[in-house]
Amino acid sequence: MSLINWNQRVASKRGLICVILISALAGCNRDETKVYNVPKDAPPPTQPEQAAAPETVQPAMPPPMTAAASIPPVKYQLPEGWQEKPPTDMRVASFTAMGPNGQTADVSVIPLPVVGRDLELINMWRSRVQLPATSDPDAVKQFEPVDIGSGQGRLFTFVSAQPIEGKGKQRLLEAMLTRDTMSWFFKITGEDAFVTSQKKHFLQFLKSVSFVENMPPQIADAPAPPVDSGNAGSIWTVPPNWRSVPPAQFLLAEYSTPGANGTKAEINVAAMGGEGGGLLPNVNRWRGQIGLGPISENDLPNIAQSLAVPDGKATLVDFAGTDAKTGAAMRTVGAIVSENGQTWFYKLMGDKQVVAQEKENFTKFIQSANYANVR
Amino acid sequence: MIKIFISLQLTVTLLAFAILLVFIGTLAQVDEGLYNAQARYFRQWLIFGLDFFGYHVPLLLPGGYLIGTLLLLNLVAAHLYRFNLSASKIGIQLVHSGVILLLVGQLATDMLARESQIHFVEGQTRPYAESSRSNELAFTTDNGANGEQVIAIPGRLLANGGEIQNANLPFKIRVKSYWENSEPTFRAPMMKNGPPLTPNGVANSFDFRLSVETKSMDEKNVPTALIEFIGSNGSLGDWVVSSWTTDEEMIQGIRQNYEQQVGPQMAGKIAGQLTQPQSIEADGKKFTFALRPERIYFPFSLQLLKATHTVYEGTDIPKDFRSRVQLRNPQTGEDREVEISMNHPMRYAGLTFYQYQMDAGQAAREAGRIPSSVLQVVHNPSWLTPYIGCGLVAVGLTTQFMFHLVGFLSKRRAR
Repeated sequence: MSLINWNQRVASKRGLICVILISALAGCNRDETKVYNVPKDAPPPTQPEQAAAPETVQPAMPPPMTAAASIPPVKYQLPEGWQEKPPTDMRVASFTAMGPNGQTADVSVIPLPVVGRDLELINMWRSRVQLPATSDPDAVKQFEPVDIGSGQGRLFTFVSAQPIEGKGKQRLLEAMLTRDTMSWFFKITGEDAFVTSQKKHFLQFLKSVSFVENMPPQIADAPAPPVDSGNAGSIWTVPPNWRSVPPAQFLLAEYSTPGANGTKAEINVAAMGGEGGGLLPNVNRWRGQIGLGPISENDLPNIAQSLAVPDGKATLVDFAGTDAKTGAAMRTVGAIVSENGQTWFYKLMGDKQVVAQEKENFTKFIQSANYANVR
Repeated sequence: MIKIFISLQLTVTLLAFAILLVFIGTLAQVDEGLYNAQARYFRQWLIFGLDFFGYHVPLLLPGGYLIGTLLLLNLVAAHLYRFNLSASKIGIQLVHSGVILLLVGQLATDMLARESQIHFVEGQTRPYAESSRSNELAFTTDNGANGEQVIAIPGRLLANGGEIQNANLPFKIRVKSYWENSEPTFRAPMMKNGPPLTPNGVANSFDFRLSVETKSMDEKNVPTALIEFIGSNGSLGDWVVSSWTTDEEMIQGIRQNYEQQVGPQMAGKIAGQLTQPQSIEADGKKFTFALRPERIYFPFSLQLLKATHTVYEGTDIPKDFRSRVQLRNPQTGEDREVEISMNHPMRYAGLTFYQYQMDAGQAAREAGRIPSSVLQVVHNPSWLTPYIGCGLVAVGLTTQFMFHLVGFLSKRRAR
């Protein structure tokens, strides 16, 4: 073997070893637990919130789309038989489709920042017609392409398996179009047969939509207007003898009102999408809190009465029991309000006498609600 | 033996396999997604079977690592074996050196390069970046004047199941379930709920369930695990740990989703419940723990001063995304403002910070969110090798060409 050949073989072996070493070193340290010291985390900046005024409850954030709502950012041609409603909540346009025999369907246009995963949206829409959630990834592909203005959107159809609230099967048509950073949701919902008959009008409506591209900059760029510290912009009018306390988890608002000899009653409010679990399970949950056993659906009319509220329907329940810890006489007055796809839970609970004194204030408080200010 | 390594037949065979691999790997991205296809075909020594148009083909093929390594060996061996230091061959030597550098550089990039992201809202300071694909189970405990001690267990170890021990933790971790992808559902008190996964921590407020693993580039898997802590005196309870509770991008998605259903106020509370820290006490020490995106700490910090999203006037077409950050490095005493915008990254400490995402436009303002920004952080120690490699090849080819040209012209003149 010549010297040059030997050198060449050694060199090529070195090359091989180098490559293997690089690979081995790079592959190391991948599954090892790391231990290190870091400075303590600074608390994150809080999301902007407005402090609740003592007399009123303010929405925590300025209403979305407020700036845009004063000039609707969409134009459209109204189909025959549709009536325009004032935009509320997050809707920039809202309509009622009227049938010849008094049938109605609700139509809405809602813009939102590009949101979540499509399957989550599908499941949210399914829940609105009481269909179970699906994990089938193909569910997102089950749409019809539709023309929404000059763009092409997706139209999803959902039909309830059972009649809902005694109104027959419900059908929901949800069209969706994503433009830049916004998703636009166009919805028609109502009784199955009527919405089916309205589909052609809905498609015409979608096609007629045009987006206002040249919104005046002073409006597009204007910050959301501050919420009035008076009643405008507040949700409820709170009785003067109620003291606001920091709401516990999942509650929107909580108050306390004192009685004689250190007794008190507490008032709290929560909200949920859809039916929020239904009337009976919630009534039984409240009964359990003051040591009462559950009741059946048949017993419900005996303790429930309807309550007039300006927007939606409400059911009031009233029952007395005892505090499980102290044995003191307790009473609960609860109200469940269905409003625009949401359910609001109001509860007045505490000492029997204080609850009796406050029941009138409580019902006035519920009736004072202005749900348009919630979002 | 040496003849095999220096043979041109080996080069041609390996290049043929490389072409085949690129073809198969490119098609596989349709069904398996980019990252899975890369891992299965290119970051492999051997490929056992492949899926082609829905059919499984039982074939044994060399993977990307094997092809690259053999090509490198082939080139190095041929280069050394035929090495001849003469002026007429200097161009060839340079070309070979350039190609070798390209191959080695690519291997080093694949093995050493790391991408991560910094998510922050205006006013927030971040001394670390987070991986978008890897997670870790991190335990944090007070360490007096040294700040906090972090014990970070890679998510891959959780995925393996079994029991995990670490000398810094006074308990063992038993992995009872691990889901690579999961979905959370809020356990609303007004709804009929089944029993929680465990009566501890976040499981009281949220149910988590297994979800189909995503392979899409637009989505990511969010893992969840059910773990049990076992101290010296027995079990310390079962806990759910989930990246849903720590991944800021996903938390924002949940908040926005619930905003539609229950309004922003309630959605804020629901998101607050999801992100509530979980902790246990063992041997007199409190450990806060979370499954979170893997963190890479820097010896410096960045504070987001201002996130600016501008659009072309009269339209909502994005014109510019710009983050003004304060760079502070206590080791060097630096404390200065830097602007990072599209196509104008910041290069600092061997890292490159690109403007990646932003939530600072009209939609964020209207929803009342604090403007936020996401920077992509790229660490690639071998980023120069392609430039040097290509330079060597160009110089080599030019030299070789000029050498032949000069020789040709000289001969012609002589005639």
